[in-house]
Amino acid sequence: MAKKRIWQLAAGLAIMALVAGLSGCAGPKSDNTAAKNELVLAINAEPEGGFDPTTGWGRYGSPLFQSTLLKRDKDLQIVNDLATGYQVSADGLTWTVKIRKDVEFSDGKPLTAADIQYTYETAQKSNSVVDLTIMKSVEAADDDIVVFTLKKPQSAFVDVLTGIGIVPKHAHGKDYAQHPIGSGPFKFVQWDKGQQLIVEANPKYYGPKPGFSKLTFLFLSEDAAYAAAKAGKADVVAIPPAFSKQPVAGMRLIAVDSVDNRGIVFPTVKAGGKTENGYPVGNDVTADGAIRKAINAAVDRKALVDGILEGQGTPAYTICDRLPWWNADAVINDNDLNGAKRILAEAGWKDADGDGILEKDSRKAEFTLIYPASDKTRQALAIAAADMVKPLGINMRTEGKSWDDIKTLMHSNAVMLGWGSHTPLEMYYVYYSKNSGIDYYNPGYYSNPAVDAYMDKALAATGQDEANGYWKKAQWDGSTGLSAKGDAPWAWLVNLKHCYLVRENLDIGQPKIEPHGHGWPITDNIAEWHWK
Amino acid sequence: MNGSQFDMAAERPGRPLTGGICQPGFHRRHRMAGMVLLSALLLAGIVAGGILLGDSRVATHLDIRNAAPSLEYPFGTDWLGRDMLARTLKGLTLSLAIGLITATASVGIALVLGLMAATLGKTVDSCISWLIDLFLSLPHLVTIILISFSLGGGVKGVIVGVALTHWPSLARIIRAEILQLRSAEFVLTSRKLGRSRWWVATRHMLPHLVPQLYVGFVLLFPHAILHEAGVTFLGFGLSPQQPAIGIILSEAMRYLSAGIWWLAFFPGLSLLIMVRAFDVLGDNLRRLIDPHSAHE
Repeated sequence: MAKKRIWQLAAGLAIMALVAGLSGCAGPKSDNTAAKNELVLAINAEPEGGFDPTTGWGRYGSPLFQSTLLKRDKDLQIVNDLATGYQVSADGLTWTVKIRKDVEFSDGKPLTAADIQYTYETAQKSNSVVDLTIMKSVEAADDDIVVFTLKKPQSAFVDVLTGIGIVPKHAHGKDYAQHPIGSGPFKFVQWDKGQQLIVEANPKYYGPKPGFSKLTFLFLSEDAAYAAAKAGKADVVAIPPAFSKQPVAGMRLIAVDSVDNRGIVFPTVKAGGKTENGYPVGNDVTADGAIRKAINAAVDRKALVDGILEGQGTPAYTICDRLPWWNADAVINDNDLNGAKRILAEAGWKDADGDGILEKDSRKAEFTLIYPASDKTRQALAIAAADMVKPLGINMRTEGKSWDDIKTLMHSNAVMLGWGSHTPLEMYYVYYSKNSGIDYYNPGYYSNPAVDAYMDKALAATGQDEANGYWKKAQWDGSTGLSAKGDAPWAWLVNLKHCYLVRENLDIGQPKIEPHGHGWPITDNIAEWHWK
Repeated sequence: MNGSQFDMAAERPGRPLTGGICQPGFHRRHRMAGMVLLSALLLAGIVAGGILLGDSRVATHLDIRNAAPSLEYPFGTDWLGRDMLARTLKGLTLSLAIGLITATASVGIALVLGLMAATLGKTVDSCISWLIDLFLSLPHLVTIILISFSLGGGVKGVIVGVALTHWPSLARIIRAEILQLRSAEFVLTSRKLGRSRWWVATRHMLPHLVPQLYVGFVLLFPHAILHEAGVTFLGFGLSPQQPAIGIILSEAMRYLSAGIWWLAFFPGLSLLIMVRAFDVLGDNLRRLIDPHSAHE
């Protein structure tokens, strides 16, 4: 009996492998769906919490169902959406935004300043990823005028205004996230959790009319989505870089630049502390800046891009490469084993017992690098990076964990994380000392008073240029900073390009540089899409 | 009581009454021994390969990733340029190690419970029989996943999970064997001569159980290995970069749609061959050792 079951199991495995192998060799099919008025998109990323902007939906922009006060255009410049203009008072504390009068929600009710006041107040109270602690109050001064009052001046508040979609006060209940109503280009039809989302063009939308009357979003795993593309069942498919080398008949590959980055965050304090929830904080090895700087210098970022991302990405040296507030002086020389060895030797690390791993004060240069087990790209980056620093005598043990486990381990171990947003506020979230241990912000408890001071000044600045100057200094001011040249609390590795397979005859215009999150951002300019 | 000997013979349907006598037994036993030797050599080769191959072959070589099978890389390389032959051998070695520990533990549990059930009286017997039925009625994979998940995964979780689920069938066999032995004449005689239960159990019964234990051990092995592969395939076991065969197979599934077939084909085939080798080994050993078929 037992034996029979073994063979059933074994035969099952063998057949699965064979079938899958054969289907891999089968030629791709394609059916011509030109001229139809709807699209099928398989772009992953089903939002777990639904589509409520007050709890985080669309915080990277383009919320689809809702519209925002301001938005960023193709060149990432701030432009009006619902707003017709805004003014900041001389002390930087009062922001007055004037809005359009002709906007209606998809249920036909007009959108007024009261809805905006309601949205921001609800979001502030939501205790979610939406961070509005800077806001003191919001008030509808008239039907078309909203006044925000801040606790202290913050130039980056303009980014907050691009990240929150406006919800209708009259129709925002408990199940709003499941049945959103808004003033965006599309209106909600149906959401089958774990399977698909169907939306229709919103006839009440005030902007340019979308070229498609119906969109179906399929929520598939990466390989199922790829199979759907091969079978001609989807028009736009998000694929991992590993699949980008395989052509699919009838589809073309579009690799969109992004600020979606991946890097290793290190605990910067010594072990012994605990978070409020009792999770351990600190790591004695990575608390030594020399270890962090040596790893930054030793990894070959170009090889990671070519080898793991199949060239669909760029090396990353900071959290904000090539954005307006990026400091080009903060870039270091990498793939420099000798330089890295020198840094370690100067800090007193040497291999006394000849086992290939360095020691200092009888402490071995080894620690664990954790990656989310479900993410193959991060896994590959972790394994490859660990192999790259091995010649230095640093032993990074890689270990895959669930996100739940990572929350408990990320303050005492190195972790492969990712960020990427169109706002310098992100630098503040990730590096500011007071954000230590809050959510995924600053998990390594990095703290440098000089860096904090620069960021305070950047936030308080009233002009964008002045603010950007301080953001740059926070990265590297010539003697210290949060970048790899300074304290190196992170080892940034790569910026991803987001790869999509798009049907040959579908024109998706010029996508803008995408933020963190592969999938939804591609819909940002969906109103411009059309068949060729 | 007088009928006990007859019952014993009748309860063993597998016992060949005529077969074997007319067969050219000499050659057959030789062939069996040959098969045993061959399987054992194959398994030893896998272990030697897994241990002797250095870590450098499973390190990442981004310049030779996704290479098709060649003379230098007979199993090809994966998406990080790791040699699949080395990964497969290391994976199989890990599987063997896990199989060894779990099969030993399972046999231990089975022996203790089987002995207790057969010697400690009715209440204990019905308790243990109930336990055996309970564990047999639960699907192995589900139980393993539950156990290894509650232990936080990792090698430890998989080992405990597999060990705790694979003892019942062997325990049942041992219990039945002891029940028969209890009424065997030499045991009865020994009891009447005043020997203690313990003395009888260790001196008279245990030697009779050795072949059963031995074969049970070898046959548990492939079962344990496949379940280990199954549970790691589903992602409940080891960390994803450990070269366990189940992990190798589940990772390979992702690349099949991209046409990289060798990632799944060779490790899968190797797993099949190894499991088959154990099966052949156990089956032939059983026939060689088991007194009932020893004269074939």
